Amino acid sequence: MNDSQDSNVLLNAEDVNKHFGGIQALNRVSFSLERGSITSLIGPNGAGKTTFINVVTGIHPPDSGEIRFAGEDIAGMQAHIVASKGIGRTFQLVELFGSLTVLENTMVGCHTRTRSGMLSCGFSLPKARKEEREIRDAAMESLQVVGLGSRAHDPISKLPLGERKLVGVARALSMRPKLLMLDEPVGGLAAHETKKLVDLIDTLRGRGLTLFIVEHNMPFVMSLSEKVIVLDEGTKIAEGLPEAVRTNEVVIKAYLGEEI
Amino acid sequence: MMRQKTGIPIRMILFALVIFLFPFLIPSPYIIGVMCFVAIYGALSLGKAVLMEHAGVFSLAHPAWFGIGAYVTGMATVRGIPPVLAILIAAGFVALLAYMMGAPLLRLKEYYLANATFCLLIIVEIVLGNMGSLTGGHQGLIGIPPFSVGPLTLKGDRHFYFLFWGLCLGTLWFFNNLLNSRVGRALKTFNDSEAASMSMGINIPQYKLKIFVITSVMASLAGSLLCFWLRFIQPSMFSIPLMVELITIVIVGGGEVLYGPLLGSFVVMWVRELIHAYLGKVLPVMTAEVDALFFGVVIVLILIFMPGGLAGWFEQLIRIGWRVRERFARL
Repeated sequence: MNDSQDSNVLLNAEDVNKHFGGIQALNRVSFSLERGSITSLIGPNGAGKTTFINVVTGIHPPDSGEIRFAGEDIAGMQAHIVASKGIGRTFQLVELFGSLTVLENTMVGCHTRTRSGMLSCGFSLPKARKEEREIRDAAMESLQVVGLGSRAHDPISKLPLGERKLVGVARALSMRPKLLMLDEPVGGLAAHETKKLVDLIDTLRGRGLTLFIVEHNMPFVMSLSEKVIVLDEGTKIAEGLPEAVRTNEVVIKAYLGEEI
Repeated sequence: MMRQKTGIPIRMILFALVIFLFPFLIPSPYIIGVMCFVAIYGALSLGKAVLMEHAGVFSLAHPAWFGIGAYVTGMATVRGIPPVLAILIAAGFVALLAYMMGAPLLRLKEYYLANATFCLLIIVEIVLGNMGSLTGGHQGLIGIPPFSVGPLTLKGDRHFYFLFWGLCLGTLWFFNNLLNSRVGRALKTFNDSEAASMSMGINIPQYKLKIFVITSVMASLAGSLLCFWLRFIQPSMFSIPLMVELITIVIVGGGEVLYGPLLGSFVVMWVRELIHAYLGKVLPVMTAEVDALFFGVVIVLILIFMPGGLAGWFEQLIRIGWRVRERFARL
């Protein structure tokens, strides 16, 4: 309704509720993401951060509430349709396809942008072959963006965690998303690997991509984000500039325990 | 470095050449007859392997589509419909039926799906057996005319050998293209991570249904050709024993690599022939039970010692070979 006034908003969540059994995983969560911005979502374990990504991307339908993406209500849409609208994501546990190589994983990311069907692929029609070449080129490009061009033909099992997370990002980038949601991109990474991801996110911001990051690593969040949202037990308890959140009494009490 | 995997690889051309020359080099009708079965079962188990191992659809109903294809073709030609048209009618009928059955059944997973498709297999056998006026009942359908297209009529095993291997190699070519395409990659993601697969925009239920229908239609084509070769079909030919046989073939050959099911078909068919030829002289009674017992033991041994089947084992050897070569190259 207010898209026309505020076309700068890419994603707008209003009163999103989600419960699993007796647990209220998301309780009337509302906020918006601006185009080209980096927004981070933080909160203690079990605060509902990953649930929020899952609800937005259609893995779990919300119980109620409205999620508008580029003006369209996507709440409750199936995940593969949400993906085709232009929301890419990575996973906390990476979730790469182990039976495919690095390049093939990234090629899967091109799925929403390509059309060849089962028969034209099976009979290897010229149209399908042409598309296959385009997919390969696009995927290679995504791999080069994350700096893994040289590992294209390796199986996933050969890669350390840091590089796997980068493949996850490359795979999502192949979708050419409008919004990229990263679920704990640097969780479990060593310092030099984290540095790589910070640089990558900077590059992506430079390209005008809107980013939404769920993360525990405070220096990472504070240095990159334009806006920080804090969830606790499914409820949004704070939202604002990193500095404001850092000094917010409620946040400190609920989550950080002490000043950082 | 860029490997172009689609199209026709040289290995496959060489293989096709060997297959083509084979009946001229070894003109024994017995051997050619067995090789016909190798081709049919190879084509069937290829579809089953793609469905099971790559797309993760654990369907046991494969022999049912094969049987329906054979029966519809047989029943149509007995009533005077030209063979090629009959084959197309059968394929269309199987496509429709597989779509109607697949849409509800594929919502089930793993054992539940296996159970439901197993029931489908049994129902099809019962229906074929009890619709006597149409299908000839349990005694089987007789009087299927020879396969002819216009003035050409196929006679003898050698003609059918080329027909069956044509189908088999065509199936191999099709699935090789498919698995190295966007659709094939999408299918392979289901077993790894459904959440990631969906989040990449892949409509999993739709793809499962499509591959289910396509492999069913391919089984139906194989069935159509079989009925012209044997000129006699019986419901029990398309039931549990065949299902077990296909699973044996996929396990022995290995479903991960595409040539696995072909290799499996070759090995299983010939080992069975050898058992019958030699064990028959030793054992007082040579029955299907001895077969089943033997292959039961083989399946257990293969699952323990080479879980990837023969093809998986070969691939491993090749990989070790490459590594040794690399090591020597570095010295």
